[in-house]
Amino acid sequence: MPLQALRTVAKSQNGVGAFILQCKRIDFHYCDWAGSSRGMNAFLKHQLPAFAAQNPSIEISVSPRPGRHPVIKGQYINGREKAICVRNMEATEVTKKAELLKTASGEKLRRDRKPVKSFNESVRGVWSPFHGRQYKI
Amino acid sequence: MKRVRLDRWASQLQPPRNPRLQVQRCAFSHETTTLPRRRETEQQRQYITQTQWQCQRRTVSSKRKASTATALQEEGNEVEADTPEPSSGAKKPPTGPSPLYAPSHRLAARSAKLAALHARLSLPPKLPLQTLARCLVDPSADPRTDYNNAPFAILGQDLLGYHTTEHLTCHYPRLPMSVLFAAQYAFVGEATLASIRAEWGVEVVAAPGVEVDAGLLQLKRQVPGNSIVEGTGRRVKDMPGVRVLGARLGGGRRNAEWNYRRGVSSRVVFDDEFGDLIGGEPYAGAQLSTSASEDGSAVEADEADGTTSTPPNLPQSPDDTEATTVSDASASFVRAVAGALYLHAGAAATKTFHRDHILSRQLDLHTMFNFTHPTRDLSRLCAREGFEPPVARLISETGRLSRTPVFVVGVYSGDNLLGEAAGASLNEGRVRAAAAALRSWYLYSPSKVEIVLPSDVEGMAAGKGKVWKPQVIDVGEIVT
Repeated sequence: MPLQALRTVAKSQNGVGAFILQCKRIDFHYCDWAGSSRGMNAFLKHQLPAFAAQNPSIEISVSPRPGRHPVIKGQYINGREKAICVRNMEATEVTKKAELLKTASGEKLRRDRKPVKSFNESVRGVWSPFHGRQYKI
Repeated sequence: MKRVRLDRWASQLQPPRNPRLQVQRCAFSHETTTLPRRRETEQQRQYITQTQWQCQRRTVSSKRKASTATALQEEGNEVEADTPEPSSGAKKPPTGPSPLYAPSHRLAARSAKLAALHARLSLPPKLPLQTLARCLVDPSADPRTDYNNAPFAILGQDLLGYHTTEHLTCHYPRLPMSVLFAAQYAFVGEATLASIRAEWGVEVVAAPGVEVDAGLLQLKRQVPGNSIVEGTGRRVKDMPGVRVLGARLGGGRRNAEWNYRRGVSSRVVFDDEFGDLIGGEPYAGAQLSTSASEDGSAVEADEADGTTSTPPNLPQSPDDTEATTVSDASASFVRAVAGALYLHAGAAATKTFHRDHILSRQLDLHTMFNFTHPTRDLSRLCAREGFEPPVARLISETGRLSRTPVFVVGVYSGDNLLGEAAGASLNEGRVRAAAAALRSWYLYSPSKVEIVLPSDVEGMAAGKGKVWKPQVIDVGEIVT
């Protein structure tokens, strides 16, 4: 055959076309007895319905965890999970933590040393020693 | 003195005890009293659905569904009660209650996972949750075509393939057939669609059934060939007599015979959109071309009935179906979503779906070429197009006598540079330069102003702004 092809899989670019929110499920655990769960209980009563309505793509589950501190757990599309203990927080602070989980991707927290992440090597072309001004010894 | 009739006297103070009255239960309560289960009215069900949070709640009715048997019974009763109602699309069979192998439509409407998936994909409200739930049911979990995603998957595969092909042929008119097959696979092939399913956050069940969440992909998973069979110490694929998935190739086509030379032309005629052999039957119960005697009997049976009756070898329950792989079922699911979107929301919505989820993916076409004789091909191309014969010239070099020389070679047709490349030897540089020249020929793309896709001007999109311009059609591949 004069020409054969090399099969590959096209790589996803989340956000270029459709944007898929990476947080797919959030579990809220509260306690009716513990004092540390007061803020969480207030959040569940007053702010959770609005949060759930604003984020229809997140599956929300509320369940009691008696005798424990309140905790929010987020599950992400890459399979990882993030948990935040919201003990002794006010309802507004709990909201902020829920927003934090919503906006996170499931990746581990790491510091990016490079300013740009891209599939393309460069925009203006990579320098080559064989083109352009030749250095004459 | 008359004896006090306690029941009468008490009844004046208490409300009348009407046994037909249902106990008004608070929607947020968690009490689990053992009341006789009464048929909930439609109104009450709606009220409960609207007021409750989307979380798991154990009410009296769900408590009694603890076992699969009672759940099946109840679903069967519900299906029986629903058959007199006018059902859209006449999905339910006319005779008796049919067993459910996947969650019913009522459960689908209450599934939080399913609703979240619907919102995550930004699907239009025209596509109901119940259809999305049906898209998640693979034929191996439920073989009946009215209950699984097979019809949607066939339609969706055609649509996705159509949009991908028109994009590739209009943007890259000179792409050779083998690379076109590979690019098609890269965009809408099985591996890519399986990856898309994972990126959408759709999980797979361990085993299908009525009690699983309606938002999970349901399929009967194939036992891995490497797993050990119980009792023996051997792997499944080493056991004698086991049928390998994909061994039923061809489906009776000439293409699949042992001595048939499968070239590119035969793939265009016989094979699927990726140039792969079409395995088995296109859909369950399809009439395959077999020997003449069997053909005659099958045709006679159809004509006598007037309608196609189910052939006896068609699986009727999940116990009879063949297990599939997760990759296969994932691809079916994504195709089914496209097909269902077309049926409910129309062609424009499907095209937008294809653009957002398929075309937005990144694919480097220039890395997909694998040349065998690029210098010969380039020479034939120049002869065909009337260019001057290609000549390779050394542009620059370094380190000729060292361990790591670099030769930059350019292929010229007269004074025009067709392609250049660097290599570790003179020959390598010449061959790479010819390959670069061929790539630049094949990857020619007309300017964006000139490109008009057929779907922009056909069907519902006709007369809506875009004017048809004839697209570039290439002479053909290079014959060597």
